[in-house]
Amino acid sequence: MDRYIIRKDDLNRWVEALARTQEVIAPTRVEKEIFFAPVQTGIDLNLLSGTAVLPYLPAKDLVLPHSENLFKFTKKGGDYEITVPEDKKTTVVLGIRSCDTSGIFWLDKFYQENFSDCYYWQRRNNLTLVTMACNQPAKNCFCVCCEGGPFLDSEQGEFDIQLVDLPDSYLVECKSSKGKALIEANSKLFAKADPSAVKTREVLEDKSRKSFPPDPTSYMSAAIRRITSNAVTPETWTELGEKCFDCGGCAFVCPCCSCFGVGYLNEGEQGCHYRFWDSCDYSGFTREVSGHNPRGEKGERFKRRFFHKLSYQYLKRDGRIGCVGCGRCITACPGEVGMPSVVERLRK
Amino acid sequence: MSNIYLPNLARIVKTQNETYDTRTFEFELVDPKAKKEFKFKPGQFLEISALGVGEAPFGLASNPNRPETFQVTIRAVGAVTRALHAKKPGDLVGIRGPFGNGFPFDEYKGKNIIFVGGGIGLCPLRSLIEPMLDARSAFKDFLILYGARTPADQVYPGRLKEWEKMPEIRFGMTVDVGNADWKGNVGVVTTLFPKLIQTADNTVVFVCGPPIMIRFAIIELSKLGFKPENIVSTLERYMKCGVGKCGHCAIGHKYVCVDGPVFTYKEIGKLPEKS
Repeated sequence: MDRYIIRKDDLNRWVEALARTQEVIAPTRVEKEIFFAPVQTGIDLNLLSGTAVLPYLPAKDLVLPHSENLFKFTKKGGDYEITVPEDKKTTVVLGIRSCDTSGIFWLDKFYQENFSDCYYWQRRNNLTLVTMACNQPAKNCFCVCCEGGPFLDSEQGEFDIQLVDLPDSYLVECKSSKGKALIEANSKLFAKADPSAVKTREVLEDKSRKSFPPDPTSYMSAAIRRITSNAVTPETWTELGEKCFDCGGCAFVCPCCSCFGVGYLNEGEQGCHYRFWDSCDYSGFTREVSGHNPRGEKGERFKRRFFHKLSYQYLKRDGRIGCVGCGRCITACPGEVGMPSVVERLRK
Repeated sequence: MSNIYLPNLARIVKTQNETYDTRTFEFELVDPKAKKEFKFKPGQFLEISALGVGEAPFGLASNPNRPETFQVTIRAVGAVTRALHAKKPGDLVGIRGPFGNGFPFDEYKGKNIIFVGGGIGLCPLRSLIEPMLDARSAFKDFLILYGARTPADQVYPGRLKEWEKMPEIRFGMTVDVGNADWKGNVGVVTTLFPKLIQTADNTVVFVCGPPIMIRFAIIELSKLGFKPENIVSTLERYMKCGVGKCGHCAIGHKYVCVDGPVFTYKEIGKLPEKS
């Protein structure tokens, strides 16, 4: 791992230079919301500060778009010609927070095991993650309970580059060849970091970890234990399920949720098969054509969602729980059954 | 990296009506290399698509020892199955797979074998029955029990008659509701158990059919002394991708498409939700 310093004034020079050769995605204000969007000339440095500012949606659509073609077909006589779309664009996402970076690595593991997913990896291999550490969590954040932040470990962390907001500059931690390439191509903007910068980083991380309110997920382990041992009663799941609106919002804003449906289009002699984000909240998710639905009850669907996120069976398989503590489900859920309130209910 | 979502084209070689709404399709892959390399295990399934209409999972129903062509039996119930039924010999479909764990064939050698099939549930079992009959001497007593709602609901009627006559197997057939021509047993498939099942010792029983039939078959088999690890079934879910990615077929931490569809009742009993 190498450490550098870049002056705050120089950051947008770096962005500009990067944007000349590849797509640069960064948090961008769009009216009253913030989204990851392409930037050309510079980014709003207010969104790249130590204070956690999360775009409304995670960056997962850079690897798993909301919808994408799997293949197109054209009917030729009695035969079909099948073509597969290619996406060779290289992308840097700058200012992605620790939680979202952790989410992408959770997806990496899932999309690698069993059968490898070539559409996912085509994008992922061309994506470089420049993470912004959080000196100050936001109101809904609980990454500290999910190993999702607020800083990523300098050595073990899952990033290409991690930026830390120091008083007058950014500390730049680089630990991959993809990250190195972005720095080396613009080396005059970077200086070697001195020990005092590293010391400041440590102080900031310590302070950040201590600034989380004590309650949000000190209950996480109790919830994990109770789900794993099937100790949560069906009545509790039903009670929680009744608060769920089946809107799927929690799944769509979740950095770890990756279930998809497959759709089919046919217009005249051609068409396509495409996939799109789906959610286990939906009653149609498991419904079969006969009308039989193994998870027809809301409570059962609710149990499914949280079993996947918190059970030890999945934890063992994936190496971590299926939640990075970004808190987006709190914002998205109209029924107030986002992760923390469910965890709090389950521990009882 | 191979593309797990891309179908191979397969041609319908022939079709055979089984019942008023159920038809067996025989396919061969169009690409000579893919055709040569194609092989499958009993109990595995294919994702079959009518391009542009949809794709759905179907259990392979033919003998894996003869993979040059392969069969699935399809009941016309929804958009995809109706589009497939509209196709004629010579027409093309998309095929992905085979997927799933399949039956561990060799583990059953030296045992008594019982099949309990209900209605169209006989189809995936057939992919195990046929190769077992090819290697008949590797197994001990061999019993096939088949139940259907009415005589008109029986799949593979020709093959059923052959099995009935084979001296090397014992065979029992029943219908829930008979008709004027039906001379055989009337009653649910479990009514055949006391007459034909001889022992639970060293015996493995394969059960596949509608959920209600499976439920009662398990209850009766348990009474006869069968242990959950010796009762084997194939689970069904609407598997969209077939490769453990889309999430639709998950039961607990198992994915029916990758970890199944073949499970023993011991494994099913450990799942945190009803199967």
